[in-house]
Amino acid sequence: MANIVGIDLGTTFSALAVLNAIGKPEIIPNCEGERLTPSAIFFDEDSPGVIRVGIEAINSRNLNAQRSVRWIKRHMGQTEYLKEIDGKKWTAVELSGLILKKLKQDCSREHGEIRDAVISVPAHFDEIRRKATMDAGTSIGLNVIGIVNEPVAAALYYATTRDVSGKVLVYDLGGGTFDVSIMNVQGHQMDIICSQGDHALGGVDFDAEVLEIIERMYRDALNAELISCDEDRAKYEDEAEDIKKTLSRRPVAKKMLYGSAGSMRAEVTREMFEDAISAHLARTDILVEVALDEAGLKPTDIDKVLLVGGSTRIPAVQQRLKKMFGAEPENAVNVDECVALGAALHAGLTVLREHPDSVPAGIAGGLRDVQLVDVCNHSYGTICAPIDKKTGRRVVENRIILKKNTPLPCESSQVFYTVSEGQSAVEVTVTQGEDTAPEYVNKIATNRLELPAERQAERPIKVTYSYDLNQRMHCSFEDVESKRLLEVDLCLDQKAQAPESGDPQEAGQLDSFKVQ
Amino acid sequence: MGNVFITILISASLFAALIWIGPACRSGLADSIGYSRFSRLAHRFSLRRLSILLRSLKIESFIGRLNLRELVNRLRLSAATCRFTAFIHSVRSRFVANANSISPLDASAQPDIAGLNCRVCFGAGGKDASSGDSFVVEICGTIHSPGDNDEAALKVAISDVTGAPHDSKPVLSKAAQWRLKDSNVFCYSADLGRLAGRDTILHNWMRVARLQTGWLVFPRRGERSLLVRISIVSRRDLQELAHAECVFPYYNEEFGYIDIEENRQRVKTLAIALAFTVSAADGKMFKCEVDFIKDWAIDNLCLSEASSRARRKLEKALSKTLAFFSRGRRLNTQGICRELVRLASAADVQDVMAFCLHVAQAKGSVAPEELTILGDLARWLEIDADVYRTMMERILPVNMHQVKDTQLVLGVTSDMSGEAARRLLNREYSKWNARVTNRDPQIQAQADEMLSLIAEARREYVG
Repeated sequence: MANIVGIDLGTTFSALAVLNAIGKPEIIPNCEGERLTPSAIFFDEDSPGVIRVGIEAINSRNLNAQRSVRWIKRHMGQTEYLKEIDGKKWTAVELSGLILKKLKQDCSREHGEIRDAVISVPAHFDEIRRKATMDAGTSIGLNVIGIVNEPVAAALYYATTRDVSGKVLVYDLGGGTFDVSIMNVQGHQMDIICSQGDHALGGVDFDAEVLEIIERMYRDALNAELISCDEDRAKYEDEAEDIKKTLSRRPVAKKMLYGSAGSMRAEVTREMFEDAISAHLARTDILVEVALDEAGLKPTDIDKVLLVGGSTRIPAVQQRLKKMFGAEPENAVNVDECVALGAALHAGLTVLREHPDSVPAGIAGGLRDVQLVDVCNHSYGTICAPIDKKTGRRVVENRIILKKNTPLPCESSQVFYTVSEGQSAVEVTVTQGEDTAPEYVNKIATNRLELPAERQAERPIKVTYSYDLNQRMHCSFEDVESKRLLEVDLCLDQKAQAPESGDPQEAGQLDSFKVQ
Repeated sequence: MGNVFITILISASLFAALIWIGPACRSGLADSIGYSRFSRLAHRFSLRRLSILLRSLKIESFIGRLNLRELVNRLRLSAATCRFTAFIHSVRSRFVANANSISPLDASAQPDIAGLNCRVCFGAGGKDASSGDSFVVEICGTIHSPGDNDEAALKVAISDVTGAPHDSKPVLSKAAQWRLKDSNVFCYSADLGRLAGRDTILHNWMRVARLQTGWLVFPRRGERSLLVRISIVSRRDLQELAHAECVFPYYNEEFGYIDIEENRQRVKTLAIALAFTVSAADGKMFKCEVDFIKDWAIDNLCLSEASSRARRKLEKALSKTLAFFSRGRRLNTQGICRELVRLASAADVQDVMAFCLHVAQAKGSVAPEELTILGDLARWLEIDADVYRTMMERILPVNMHQVKDTQLVLGVTSDMSGEAARRLLNREYSKWNARVTNRDPQIQAQADEMLSLIAEARREYVG
């Protein structure tokens, strides 16, 4: 039996955990001995063919910013994002694959073969980003058996290691993304209620605010720009991150700034920092409220707030949560590691569900009582053309069939009608999104259902969507009269059939690249 | 001749009403006469005449609960017959007859039994209460058939003969089953069953068809004279066995197809006026805006393939309009909107609004004055606030607004309670947060801007 692995592929840091013999997850340090690996890549110009990932990439970044990559998670699923290095255009999926390769490689060295893994993603990641994440794993030869939402993974770990019960809100403010999930926890039984999130709200945005503060200080003091090239920017981005971390521990952070007009000593206070990030934190407050509204709960209904992600160390974050919920948020576990640890637990549960015989008794025993009821992360619908009651015109709209936050497994059907006499086919589209306007939703599959010839209009077409525990979606479009059926299966490990998801990744296609 | 006849008819009707309604009301019999029979008489009069008559008889209280126009429109009962001479005699019988939803207007009239006769009554509702008002077609007289026990079918056609008799216009059908082949002209047909013999004689009026008014599309709105022509045909060889026709009056409350076509042109003209108003709102009429209006006018006034002369004429008219606005003069925009609401369908009104929004969009940014006039137009055009905001989101995204107005963009108002504002803004935030990962970079940018605006609005309205 190969290791059962969970990976937190983060915006700023990544981590890998395996289930030990008794089903407890453990973080596996990288070959530098660090439990967290920076999600940074550097293409070394002096050693072509060598790609540095992790702390080495961070350290080399200041030398040639053009050949370094950070925060790649923010570009997942963007087909237009390409980083050109030495004539090769790297996609976000490939770059993420390099980070995963480093994690896999370092873990394999001491723990043997790694094959099956669960990778975590922000709860609000759409199908395209989830698929891109899975493709990144596939591209380095991993068998990605599942994708887990980061707050769910963190809560899994909390629930299995701490005494947590009642309505729990997981506040996950990481390096690049923010998630809030509400769940009902009773012992090892977890029922997810809802999730909300922001794909571009996290520590890097706070770093950018700090960078702006020190740039302004330098400009005001010496009437010159602090940053004059990409390398300067890379250096001061790292300095800004350092200042931010210092301000979580101390009220003032001091740094020497070296710019074109000379050097200066800069002092950034916690008040200055908190003022600068207040707009970002206000957005997290709104999303918490939105999630509470979605769950039909008031802040007082929440029994526990769990903190996840490095940015929750910021005192202002904890103070705001205490003010909102009237109690200190829980930060009893390592907020940087709990996602990877929970992902490993999720991987164990997945293997146990699909191949129970292959799971060693120790692991099976450790996971026996854990029950997780997840929900649909998004709404799924189809494009139709009903008649608007007010105008009497047909309007093209997205009709939701499976609603967001429906507990899994689930199934739902709706009947639609053909539009015109003699209609020979129906173009069917599977959408993901909450809007009725088609332009605001993502089309994840399209197909065509052929119909019998020479029929009247208004013939019924029954559309049924189902979503299983393994996040596989089954869509069927049935012409009720003729019983003709079109079935569309959508699952993340399938080769892309979505019109917008880009090229599918071949398994192990990054094997030829050497990662250090 | 026709005019003289109608004058006689109206005079006779008035006379009859004065004789019979007056005493009935004065003697407190108005209620016993009943609403429906009263209304049967009402259809004979114009609104003005009826109003004068009612006032002179001091019986307003009888209809006090009704809007007079509604009374005439809804209950103008058209019991008509080709035998107008029977009409006067029938007036008396109407007030002694037992009231029911349709009552023969000329019960005492003597139809020509040797031939086929027809008449039409106006009935409220059919078997199905939701079917609305209907025309009930009745026949009596003789049907000659070449053979014994022939199977017969009925065909009913209606044409509009209002005005000159030679200028009849077809009545169209909304119902697909009651259309002539390859056209949408109304033609009803029904099975009459087996005829009694070579000469089938109907001594009494027999109801043969109930035609729902909802099936019919008339040429014009208002008082119509409708010619109904019925044919009895043999089902064996479709040979016509008998026919009859009669004319009856009807008040059509809906726009007719000719009205609709005329209105459509008028609506387009008014839309252009509104478009110029939007363009001129910020005091400057940009060339791109004017060009957009001109292109729209050419496309929508069906002049893209018209003669160059017609195009020149249109361009001249547009130039004059442009000059009018350029001099700082303005139209009565609210009045135009009122007319549009009256003439145009809800869909057309939305099209006009969308056109105006596109005019504001043409230069890539929208001034506060333009937003104000667009908001006024939406209100005057009675466009639902949510529909208007959706149109704005699509055509004039917030990043085009020179000044971001949270009230306008988000629908939050200062008179809202903090809790109501919080809920609305959270709902908006949730909506835009889901759009921020859209594949379209423009929608992403719009969503980002909306999220910032919502956060700002929360600070202002929620605290």
